Amino acid sequence: MSVPNPPKCSPASLQMFLLALADDELVLGHRDSEWTGHAPILEEDIAFSNIAQDEIGHSLVWYSLHQDLTDATPDTMVFTRSWTKFVCSRFVEYPKGDFAYTVVRQFLFDCAELIRLKDLTRSSYTPLAQTAERIIKEEHYHRLHSQGLVERLGDATEESARRMQAAVDQAFPQSLGLFELLDCENELKTAGVFSGHTVLRSMWLDEVVPVLRGVSLKIPVVQDGAEYQLKCEPEDGGRKKLHTPHLQQLVHDLQSVHKLAPEARW
Amino acid sequence: MRVNQREDIMSEAIDDVKLAEFEARINRGEKIEPGDWMPEAYRKNLIRMISQHAHSEIVGQLPEGKWIPFAPGFRRKLTLIAKVQDEAGHGQLLYRAAETLGKSREAMIDELLTGKAKYANVFNYPTPTWADVGVIGWLVDTAAVINQTMLAQGSYGPYARAMKRICYEESFHIKQGYDAVVALAKGTSEQRQMVQEAVNRWWYPTLMMSGPPDSMSEHSVLALRWRIKTKSNEQVRQDFVDLIVPQIRALGLELPDKNCQFNSQTGHYHYTQPDWNELKRVVNGDGPCNKERLAVRRSAHEDGRWVREALAAKSARSNLARMNE
Amino acid sequence: MDTQWETFEVFHQSKRGDPHEHVGSVHAPDPQMALQLARDQFARRLKCVSLWVVRSRDITATDYQDGSFFAQVTDKSYRDPKSFDAPDKLEHP
Repeated sequence: MSVPNPPKCSPASLQMFLLALADDELVLGHRDSEWTGHAPILEEDIAFSNIAQDEIGHSLVWYSLHQDLTDATPDTMVFTRSWTKFVCSRFVEYPKGDFAYTVVRQFLFDCAELIRLKDLTRSSYTPLAQTAERIIKEEHYHRLHSQGLVERLGDATEESARRMQAAVDQAFPQSLGLFELLDCENELKTAGVFSGHTVLRSMWLDEVVPVLRGVSLKIPVVQDGAEYQLKCEPEDGGRKKLHTPHLQQLVHDLQSVHKLAPEARW
Repeated sequence: MRVNQREDIMSEAIDDVKLAEFEARINRGEKIEPGDWMPEAYRKNLIRMISQHAHSEIVGQLPEGKWIPFAPGFRRKLTLIAKVQDEAGHGQLLYRAAETLGKSREAMIDELLTGKAKYANVFNYPTPTWADVGVIGWLVDTAAVINQTMLAQGSYGPYARAMKRICYEESFHIKQGYDAVVALAKGTSEQRQMVQEAVNRWWYPTLMMSGPPDSMSEHSVLALRWRIKTKSNEQVRQDFVDLIVPQIRALGLELPDKNCQFNSQTGHYHYTQPDWNELKRVVNGDGPCNKERLAVRRSAHEDGRWVREALAAKSARSNLARMNE
Repeated sequence: MDTQWETFEVFHQSKRGDPHEHVGSVHAPDPQMALQLARDQFARRLKCVSLWVVRSRDITATDYQDGSFFAQVTDKSYRDPKSFDAPDKLEHP
C-alpha cells in the first residue's frame, strides 16, 4: 500500500508497532469476554460484552493496517502465529482475576490507550492517524466506565478497598509493561510515528495517580518536582516476546478449532 | 352471618365482577398493564413463566459463551460475543417485566440459584463442539422465535412488549447460526460430520422446548384462557417442525428421527415425540449440565456480592452527603 | 437482602427533533452509572442521540383503576374543526 509522504522508518518497525497495538487489544478483549455470564450483576454482563467487542474490533483494525504492510491477513496473524511470536504486553495476558483486578486493569489500560491514541492522531503515518481519530471515540467511553468503577469501588466499603488495593498492588507494576521501550523506539520517534513511550508513560502517570489516590489507593510512586518517580520494577518482556503460560493457553484455545481445517471456510 | 363471612362473600362478589371485567378486556384484545386488578392465578402464572424465561436467557449465556475464545474467525467471534450479550440483555428485559408483577429480581435470582425455579431445559445439555454453537443459534433460536412471536400477542403488556423487542434481536441470531452451519455443511468431511452430530444431539432437546403436550401441563388451560399464550405447545412444536425440516434437508443433513415424513393430507410433518420422561428427569436436576450451570451462576452471584454491596454503599453515602449540603 | 440496586426508567431519543421514548429500565447504583448501563442495554443497536434516566420511584403515574381521571363526558366537539359547518366558498353579493 502506498501512502503519500510515508514516515522515514523501516516497514519492519512500523509492522512491529502495529502488531503490539493489535496483540494488546486482542488479548485484553478476550479477558473482558470472560465476564459474560460471570459478572457481579446482569447490567455488567452486558457492559463487559460491549467492551470486549470494541477491543477485539480494534485489534481487527490494527491487524488490517498491519496487513497493508505485510499481506498477512488478520486471521493469519491470530489463527496461525505461534504464541512465542506475539508482542502483547504481559499485563493483558493475566487471567481476569476478581472484579477488582479486572476493573483496575481496564482503567490503567484505558488511560494508556487514550493517551496513546491522542498521540497517534498526530502520527506521521497517515493511516495510523486516521484510525486513531476513529477509535478514540470508543476509548473515551471505556475510560468513563472503568474510571467510574474505580472511583466507586476504591473506597466504598472495607472489603472493596481491600480488594482494590490488592488489585493495584498486582496490576500497577504489570501495567508499566505497556510502556516498555521497543527496539525500534528511537527510529519511530525520529520519524514522527509517535512521541515515544517515555513521554506517554509520564502523561499516563499524571492521569492515573490522582484518580487512584483520590479514592485512597496507594501506588508505588513518589512525587519528584513535576514528575512521578516509580518505586517498583516494571513488568517488561512482552514486547520482546517473553510471555506467561497464560498467553500460551489462550493462543492454544484461539487456534484449536481453526486447526481442525486450516484451509476451510468457517 | 358473622361480619367476616359477609365481608368474604362481598369481596368474592367484587372479585367475580372484576374477573368478568378482566376477562372481557382480554377478549377484546386489550392489554393488562401493571396495577390492573388481576386474578392471583394470572399473576402467579405470569411471574413463573416470565422469570423462567429470564433464567433461561441468563443460563443460556454459558453453553455458547464458553466457545468465544475458540471461535475460528474474527467475524464468528464478534458475532458470538454480540449474541451472548443479547441473551444477557433479554434476561434483563424479562426480569424487569416480571418485576412489574411485584416480585424483586433478587428473589427471582435466589429461586434460580437454590434450584426452586426452572429454566429452559435445552441449556442443561453440553456444547462439546464448535458446530453446537451454530446449531443452537439456528435450531434453538428458531424454536424460540416461533414461541416468542406467539407470546408477543399475549395479554400482559410488559411481557408482550419485551417479546417484540426480543424477537427482533433473535431473528439476527437465527441468521448468524444458520450462516455458521452452512459453512460447515458445505465444508470438509470433518466439518460436515461435526455439524451432523450436533444436529443429532440437539434435535430432540429443541423439540422439548415448546413444552410437553398440553394435556400433561397443569398451567396450560389458564394460560390459554387468559391469553398468556395463544397457541398450545403442540401447535408451536408443529410450526417449528414444519419450518425447520425442509431447511435441514436442504443442507444435505439428516434428522435423527427416521420417521419424520411430510403428510400431504394434513399438510404437516409427522414426527416422533421426544421422550417426555427425559424432559422430566433433566428439568428436575438430573441432566448432564444442570449442576455445572447452576454452580457457575452461584459463583458469579456470590463472588460479585461485594461489588453490588460496595456500589450501593457508595451511592448511599453520596446521597447523604448531598442532602447535608 | 436486596443487592440488585434500584431501578431507573430509561428514555431514548433516536434523533434530534424526535421525542424521548420510554424503552425500559436498568438496575443501577446511581444516575451516572444508570446512563452508562442504559447505553449498553438500550442503545447498542438503536440509533441514539440522547438518553434520560429517572429513578422509578420518582415517576408519578395515574392509576389504571381510576377511569374517571380521563373521563370526557361533556360535549367538547367545538375542539374538533370538523364540527364547524363553514362553507367552502363565500358568495359575493
